[in-house]
Amino acid sequence: MIKHEKGTIEDSEMKEHFDDLRELTAGELSALCSNLAKGCEKQYLKEEMQLFNQISDYYKSKIELTDEESFEPVSELLHNDLTQDFAKANIVSSEKEDRGALRALVWGEKVSRMLKSVLGRYAKSGNELLENTKIYVCDICGFVYIGDIPPAICPVCKVPSFKITEVGRR
Amino acid sequence: MPAVRNIALCTKDCLCLYVCPTGATNTENSIIDVDKCIEGCRKCVDACPSGAISIVPLIYPHQQAKEDNVINSLNKLIKSKVEQERIAESIAKTTDDPIRRQFATAISKSNRIMIEDLFRESGYMLPQSDETRRLLESMLDNPQEDFPLEAVKGLLSKLTKTGI
Repeated sequence: MIKHEKGTIEDSEMKEHFDDLRELTAGELSALCSNLAKGCEKQYLKEEMQLFNQISDYYKSKIELTDEESFEPVSELLHNDLTQDFAKANIVSSEKEDRGALRALVWGEKVSRMLKSVLGRYAKSGNELLENTKIYVCDICGFVYIGDIPPAICPVCKVPSFKITEVGRR
Repeated sequence: MPAVRNIALCTKDCLCLYVCPTGATNTENSIIDVDKCIEGCRKCVDACPSGAISIVPLIYPHQQAKEDNVINSLNKLIKSKVEQERIAESIAKTTDDPIRRQFATAISKSNRIMIEDLFRESGYMLPQSDETRRLLESMLDNPQEDFPLEAVKGLLSKLTKTGI
């Protein structure tokens, strides 16, 4: 069933991918591999999941930390995402009728809006925002919720709340 | 096509244990034993009252091709989210304040999940896909000394190729 006859095409594609890999940063490769680990987890391929996580952790260890102390640059990047790049990606994905990409963009844009709002609130009130409450992140779409009990279903991706996980204070 | 059990849905009625001709469903870690599972049997799938068992293929189809323009526009967002994750992660790692660390960790985690999702739609949805295989193969090219080569080689030998 596995076709090998298009060897030359694969070789040229391979070359492109070598180039691609050089362009991917450690941060990107780490997330790409943790994504594939989750894909293995869903198929109950435990060993494969661990191997992808091992590669993901390797790349994560290569990410250079910044000495940035403020969330301000995150808000600026979010502003740029929300005013430009989501819109552009939506147009391209609509033109190509890529509904999978459009789905990811709908979720990502909603989560980004919420993150921007949460960062705004944190900039104003600081730790007071979280002092007497909890913070949760949806495992599926990244939705962030500040409050004692998360919603029964995620408002962004509609997954049940057992996949909305509390981020503990350590 | 082995059966898989979703633990979150399993209500421990154990009918799958009664109907399985090989004992593949009866394991200490709740994961159905692929080596014992009979191709196309489905008895446990039909017997399960909670719909917790499903069948997955050993060989997956080739993935839908992605347009370059779509990949490029998603990659632009990925780069931005990776930078946001890096800043939040840096704050989480360096601050002495537990609440600030908690907040930064949540922001970092949220970004990681969005990046993973964007990668899924830019050609890396399925671990067995040709795209993933090419990526893994390219990692074998000039790796750094401390790179986990064995993990990559293990994946290349374990993951089945796509194409039905």
